[in-house]
Amino acid sequence: MRSIRTRSELLAAGLAGVAAAILAVPLGCSVGLRAPEPAASADDAPPRRGGTLHLASVFNVTSLDPAGLTQGLSMQALILLFDGLVDIDGEGHVVPNLAERWEISDDARTVRFTLHAGVQMHDGAELTADDVKRSVERALHPSTPGSNASYYEGILGYAAYAAGKAPHLEGVVVEGRYVVTFHLTQPDPAFLSLMALPIMRPVCASAGDRYASGWQPCGAGSFKLEPGGWQRGTSLRVVRHGGYFRPGLPYLDAVEWTFGMFPVPQRFRFEDRDLDMLMGPTQADVGRFMADARWKSLGVKLFANSTWGEAMNTRIPPFDNVEIRRAVAAAIDREHYAVLKPSQMSPLTQLLPPGVPGYDPSFQGQVHDEAAALEHMRKAGYPYDPATGRGGWPAPIPYTVTDVTTGAFTAQMLQQELARIGLRIELRLVSYSAFLAITSRAGGSAMHPAGQQADYADPSAFFEPTFTTAAISPEGSNNVAFYSNPVYDDVVGRARHELNPDLRRALYHTASEILRDEAPWAFTYGQHDFVMRQPYVRGFTANPVWPFDVRQVWLDRADTAMPAALPGGFR
Amino acid sequence: MRRALRRLGSSLFVVWAVVTLAFAVNNLVPGDPARMVAGVQARPADVDRIRVQLGLDRPPLVQYALFWKRLSHADLGRSYQLGQPVVDLIAAKLPNTFALALAGIVLQLLFGLTTGVLAAWRRGGWLDRALVGTSLLGVSAPTFLIALMLQYVLAYRLRWLPLDGYGRTTLEHARCLVLPALTLGIYGAAYYTRLVRDEMAVMLAQDWIRTARAKGLGPARILVRHALRNGLVPVVTSVGLDFGALMGGAIVTEQVFRWPGIGKLAVDGMHDRDGPVILACVVVSAMFIVVSNLLADAVQVRLDPRTRGSS
Repeated sequence: MRSIRTRSELLAAGLAGVAAAILAVPLGCSVGLRAPEPAASADDAPPRRGGTLHLASVFNVTSLDPAGLTQGLSMQALILLFDGLVDIDGEGHVVPNLAERWEISDDARTVRFTLHAGVQMHDGAELTADDVKRSVERALHPSTPGSNASYYEGILGYAAYAAGKAPHLEGVVVEGRYVVTFHLTQPDPAFLSLMALPIMRPVCASAGDRYASGWQPCGAGSFKLEPGGWQRGTSLRVVRHGGYFRPGLPYLDAVEWTFGMFPVPQRFRFEDRDLDMLMGPTQADVGRFMADARWKSLGVKLFANSTWGEAMNTRIPPFDNVEIRRAVAAAIDREHYAVLKPSQMSPLTQLLPPGVPGYDPSFQGQVHDEAAALEHMRKAGYPYDPATGRGGWPAPIPYTVTDVTTGAFTAQMLQQELARIGLRIELRLVSYSAFLAITSRAGGSAMHPAGQQADYADPSAFFEPTFTTAAISPEGSNNVAFYSNPVYDDVVGRARHELNPDLRRALYHTASEILRDEAPWAFTYGQHDFVMRQPYVRGFTANPVWPFDVRQVWLDRADTAMPAALPGGFR
Repeated sequence: MRRALRRLGSSLFVVWAVVTLAFAVNNLVPGDPARMVAGVQARPADVDRIRVQLGLDRPPLVQYALFWKRLSHADLGRSYQLGQPVVDLIAAKLPNTFALALAGIVLQLLFGLTTGVLAAWRRGGWLDRALVGTSLLGVSAPTFLIALMLQYVLAYRLRWLPLDGYGRTTLEHARCLVLPALTLGIYGAAYYTRLVRDEMAVMLAQDWIRTARAKGLGPARILVRHALRNGLVPVVTSVGLDFGALMGGAIVTEQVFRWPGIGKLAVDGMHDRDGPVILACVVVSAMFIVVSNLLADAVQVRLDPRTRGSS
């Protein structure tokens, strides 16, 4: 008897201890935030040069070769190390960069770039048109591991080159020391946006003609990598490229990342000023900062450049019935989704998110209307009476979801919203890799969360891979709703090659209307990143394509050097 | 000698079986490593090209045969994601995991043996109840909670130690090692406290302990020389298993503290379906479990010669 009581006591003591311990962390962590470090000078002070910007992320850099695999944080580092012929500005427009200008032929099949003379690369050599051609051929060669090569299939001779049947890419022609011309098989308004991607950025001659791992990254970017600057999986330090072609830039002496750091230690370090910016804080921490008057104005919500929705497989019942899909699209209250993570989610009713050129805020997309949803259920032949709970689709609908994304949370909300119109979904939790395999296989999943991110600054990056018939394949399909509509294909195909901006906009508007009405996805939210900065971090601006761009950042601390000289010229 | 060879043979069989199972599971579960490498939005043409580059277009049996062929040359292939030789990745991280595992086990034993002996010595008293109750807390609390509490108190508030990381100098490595090792030490010590206490309780009730007391031996000598020594046999077995498991990667602890060891590599490998990395981590983990068990057996025989024929 005594031993039983003792065990109970021990168990109670242990449970109480665990509860106390569990409470101790959040309670302890909620002790007031430390004060931010004020900027040294007034808001209108000119930029100053010097200092190292310290950043951290839970993610990692997999490659620093623009022709390699650029997942995780690679993109953020690549845009510092490598400049492109063109770039994307803060409003999503293509602007000249290493190329001082470009000319497009009347038939829009030829794009001629003229480079700035005297651009110095990290190895001291001058950038020439030959470097551009060599870099492009290296990036698009079939032995290169990069995952975007097929985006450039519109360059003349790509097919033969990608198949290994031609030694050079016919469509890239050097026409002088500073002039390089791209010949396209068809007019392509998205081509300039594609030219801004890291994969097309010139690399030094040391990279050779073919991709090889182990190359010391070297390009024409504003920062360069010194030997030993990249500790794989641990840290990365890039330093100012003294010969950068834009005088006075960059302002920072160096940028340092620490990888694999969880959000909570990141916040601790940020408060301690070991980190100057806090990338991707937890929602709880965002709430903490926003509730503190000293920090509130220092949060930056970045562009929503990805779209999320509930994909419905149009080949699997009940979603082969368009009325059921319309019912789902009408049943979802997008405001509820955004409540989950307000710092990172904004309600979205159409395919294009606000950060992408072509987004039309006045477009009337899918709207929440429960009465309309019930009417669509009736039209589908499965009327549902919310009062009695009778009717609706008779069987549970499997919903595939992974627990490493927000989908695990939104799924539970969806479950409740659809139950109100007579659709019962059954959650099937799988690993991320299994999720990708199952949802991209024809007949693999009836319903699941789906997202599309802006790979480049053009509507085609959304309309083509997500819903065209050409994007369907039996395995690894990009079109995960397996939606096929010849009218939609025709509209999107014409839009891709339409050079008149107004006509192009109208075509994409039509495509958006088709998606709204046919509802292969119920669009739900656009995803943002959220950043906190110390007050002395100045000049940070959001970019709709580059997720985190610190090229214009400067540090306004008392120990930072004198104001940077800012001659006109390229600025 | 024959028994040793038999034991070695069975150990190699275990390693082969575990690796084969891992290979089979990795190929059977849904998921496309080429797609994981290419990225979720990659087009099928690019995914197919990458699949060929990685050799994933070959039949699984051919891939399996190539894996063993490479392994016979101490080549574990290249990471799909990182493009680096896996041997280099393992070689860079193994010493860190070894240091963490060793420090963790030492602390577990230090805390566990001390508290276990004290609890057994004062069995039924308030000290016993307090120590066993605390050990229950340690067993119940997940490692990440212990880790976060240590980080918050010792690093964030008191600023005695680094929050996480690895450091650049030997002294920084040592300082960075303290919190993850302490996390493992606290977590594992709880188990050893209870194990030692229970074993000691059994030992202290034996006739030969009563005889030792009757002969006038002091309590410390009885506890340490007689009861503890005999009670250590199951502890050694556990240490063998635990050390081997920790060498497979103290996954959560390494992640929370950004300690660059095998654990993080294994987690990333599994998440990315990076076959060569997964198999390499399995090989390393299985080998260390086997080797540490063999060592534990040897120590066990040394502690208790009666077990010589039973292992």
